[in-house]
Amino acid sequence: MVGVIKIFQRLRYMKRMGLTHVDTRHEIHKIERHQDLEHYKDIIYQCGKCGTCRTVYQDADWAAVCPSGEFRKFESYYLGGKNLLTWGLTSGKLKWTEHLASIFYSCTVCMACLQQCQIPEIHTYAVEWLMAMREEAVKQGYGPMPEQKLYTEHTMVENNPYMEKHGDRLNWLPSHIKQTPDAKTAYYVGCTSSYREQNVAVATAEILNSLQVDFRIHPNESCCGSPVYMTGQTEKAKKIAEENVKMFKDAGIEKIITSCAGCYRTWKDTYPNKFGLNHGIEVKHLPEFLLDKLKNGELNFSKEFNMKITYHDPCHIGRHMGIYKPPRQVLEKIPGLELLEMKRNRHNAWCCGSGGGVRSAFKDLSAFAANERIEEAKETTAEAIVSCCPFCLNQFKANIKNNEIQALDLSEIVKQII
Amino acid sequence: MNNNEIVSELENIVGEQFVSDKPEETFLYHYDFITAEPEGKCDIVIMPKTAEEVQEIVKIANKFKIPLVPWVSGINFGSTATPLKGGIVVDLRRLNRVLEVNEDDMYALIEGGTTWAGLQAYLGKNHPNLMAGVTFSPPGTGVVASCLCYGMFNLGMLGGTGAEFINGLEVVLGSGDLVRVGSCSLSDYWYGRQPLPDLAGLFIGWEGSTGIVTKAAIKLWPKLPFRKDFVLMGNTFDMGIPVLLKLSKAGLGICDIFVFSYNWIQAAIGAYEKKVPLNPLKDNLPVFISGVTTQAYTEKQHEAQCEAIETISKEGGLTEAPQGISLDILPYQAWGAWNFSRGGGGEWIGSYCSTREIIKYYKLARETALKHGHTSQFYSRLLFGGHYCVSRFNINFNKNDPEEIESARIILKEIHEEVSSLDGVVMYKAPKWAHEVYEEKIYPATYELMKKIKNLLDPNKVMNPGHGWGD
Ligand SMILES: Cc1cc2nc3c(=O)[nH]c(=O)nc-3n(C[C@H](O)[C@H](O)[C@H](O)COP(=O)(O)OP(=O)(O)OC[C@H]3O[C@@H](n4cnc5c(N)ncnc54)[C@H](O)[C@@H]3O)c2cc1C
Ligand code: SF4
Ligand code: SF4
Repeated sequence: MVGVIKIFQRLRYMKRMGLTHVDTRHEIHKIERHQDLEHYKDIIYQCGKCGTCRTVYQDADWAAVCPSGEFRKFESYYLGGKNLLTWGLTSGKLKWTEHLASIFYSCTVCMACLQQCQIPEIHTYAVEWLMAMREEAVKQGYGPMPEQKLYTEHTMVENNPYMEKHGDRLNWLPSHIKQTPDAKTAYYVGCTSSYREQNVAVATAEILNSLQVDFRIHPNESCCGSPVYMTGQTEKAKKIAEENVKMFKDAGIEKIITSCAGCYRTWKDTYPNKFGLNHGIEVKHLPEFLLDKLKNGELNFSKEFNMKITYHDPCHIGRHMGIYKPPRQVLEKIPGLELLEMKRNRHNAWCCGSGGGVRSAFKDLSAFAANERIEEAKETTAEAIVSCCPFCLNQFKANIKNNEIQALDLSEIVKQII
Repeated sequence: MNNNEIVSELENIVGEQFVSDKPEETFLYHYDFITAEPEGKCDIVIMPKTAEEVQEIVKIANKFKIPLVPWVSGINFGSTATPLKGGIVVDLRRLNRVLEVNEDDMYALIEGGTTWAGLQAYLGKNHPNLMAGVTFSPPGTGVVASCLCYGMFNLGMLGGTGAEFINGLEVVLGSGDLVRVGSCSLSDYWYGRQPLPDLAGLFIGWEGSTGIVTKAAIKLWPKLPFRKDFVLMGNTFDMGIPVLLKLSKAGLGICDIFVFSYNWIQAAIGAYEKKVPLNPLKDNLPVFISGVTTQAYTEKQHEAQCEAIETISKEGGLTEAPQGISLDILPYQAWGAWNFSRGGGGEWIGSYCSTREIIKYYKLARETALKHGHTSQFYSRLLFGGHYCVSRFNINFNKNDPEEIESARIILKEIHEEVSSLDGVVMYKAPKWAHEVYEEKIYPATYELMKKIKNLLDPNKVMNPGHGWGD
């Protein structure tokens, strides 16, 4: 009887808490991450096409989570569909086609779907085969999408996907920013802040100056490779990663602070875990760094910032890296600021629609996702939607109409109050 | 047949983006990706948004004499939404609104593709004092689909099968005509099927082979302030079933009574299968695990009901599991049900039967499964105040392994044969092969009547051919 009682005790934890029980298969058969399709092909067909991954599981009014599926509607565009298409392919029932590839690329790899599926292997690892399918599409000559090919070609030459010149990368840098030439800490700006959301770069650098952090910006900083990697172009992304790691190691950098969620994930997870580049450089995302400073008393918010805001969890630090609390903890410490949560938040957050190469290749899907999030933000009555990723910020700014709500980066707020 | 011509006519109805004949989209509709039933073929998939669009689609199917298969998530466990004869799958996911909730008469008027997640979200937000009966099926599955297939819910003791939860229907017939059945046929109220001739039966149990339901009114029930979920465990079914039967007839505010065998619980939480005993009885493990839910309006009433439940179960030798377990967790993704065998395949023999036969049903099915080296995943639910019950027995398999699939088919058929020998056992959501068994058994004049009805409602036999009755 004791055994059965234990089972029930575990059952109790299932409501709203995802997978908390022991003894399940995936805890016994740990699955390696970052492998190719062959590695995952015997797991994928556990999926029963049941549709649980389409909505928030037992929370948030069962709201929709998948931008790709909600936009296109066909089952193929949800995770269940993608799983079974993958099975169809690996079991010879389907062949690679341009359309098949486009289905897999019509996905922001936001991972909101995985969070909802309670099948342990899918819950934990489905992103691995979503990525492996992209990698395979590239190997088979069906990926990436034409627009992604274009930006990749440019990135391989000019070190950014924005069709800008490498030589212009530091144009944002104002003369009042003080750098320490031999600092062991680098501010890794990233392409979006360098070329599009330069205010984030300026704000971050100013914050670091105010906190008297010895830092420098690598004069030859290049794209981290995320837009190349996320579109399945592993070899090219690896080459970029190797060059970056060499460049930063040669410069004696021991710590990177970045204000970009994508750069953070790429340096912290993709470089060591996918590319085997154990660079040993400590990587901190700005909110984590600020929180440390708040905790040890080096940072105090002396001024008020009177605004009702809502926080948007960027996928690349949220679901990809599990960072939900630090940005909120920083925001909560700001006097005058009122933080309102959107219905879908933290691991259930709706994606802004720009990741995974979607913004360049599927503009209509991307705008649909952004508008859905903007509407959700407005429902909270917040005056601004705040994020800590310049790519999310840029996406919101491009889609907000008639100043219906502001879009801000956390760094822009913090800069004003220290 | 020229698919292009059909596709272009369909596109004129719903717009280009909601029709596809591309293999990358139709693949997901060839079969259910769960059961051991054979694959069908979906030639075209379409997603209508309104009843008028459904009517137009049916007209086109009649014009081209091409099959139409109503579909919500296609995982009904009997493979009855698998397009056996090809044709157009009408995916109802865009026809998914909750249109109205009538608090006085306690019903929800919903569209034909509404999911459990959609209905629960709506009620939770707007009518927290009302509750719907919900299945153990995943949140993305269909409410109307389930009701039409005699699904069973966690309010089964109150309302019976899902079919009995239906107050009224709006249906596009196989001929393309739109009809309403129930009180809604002559008023704006969808309170019931009485007192006109009850035509809902023309669509219930027919597996979408007589028409496509575009609207349905579903009974809701009051959510009372006091609720308790009892989990009662016993060593054997011989011991436990009489207790449940007694409880079902004791008038204790009970809205749900069900029983799982030990192995089902293990499956439902996805326990590692090597740790699950094949035959728990042999290891002296308690195999009988049941759930009883009661609710009441006042505390005193609640205490009295709970006390009676405790007394009856104690007298029958059952033990109560720790306090605080909530069974109010539906819809729920009972993922263990199909990933138990690492391979995602599962199918069950699910039947309605007399409450007299539950123990025999369990034993016959269990022995057959054990003979083939399978664990016994049995589940039964008492319905409508204990008037009858549903009993199901599950077999899991690796759906990527043709040998395992074949073996599952054999075991399922054997179990079906065994349990069908018991009086009154009739499978629901029956796959094609089980239908064939019943077609031979059914009273001949009854079967003739079914054929006439089918012919009348679907003269060109376009509606879900190969499924349902009388084609
Ligand atoms: C793990 C699991 C547990 C389950 N547990 C239960 C349970 O406890 N109780 C239960 O009752 N069921 C259960 N089911 C079965 C089933 O999934 C549910 O009954 C479900 O609600 C049916 O929805 P569906 O979307 O799968 O239907 P589908 O398979 O899409 O449709 C079922 C049938 O109805 C027809 N149909 C669908 N919609 C319409 C319409 N609008 N008009 C006319 N015909 C239509 C289809 O053609 C098909 O024949 C379970 C399934 C799974 C996978
Ligand atoms: S991924 Fe999980 S939730 Fe989604 S359809 Fe498959 S089994 Fe269901
Ligand atoms: S990763 Fe995001 S966009 Fe892609 S299938 Fe999952 S929820 Fe949809």
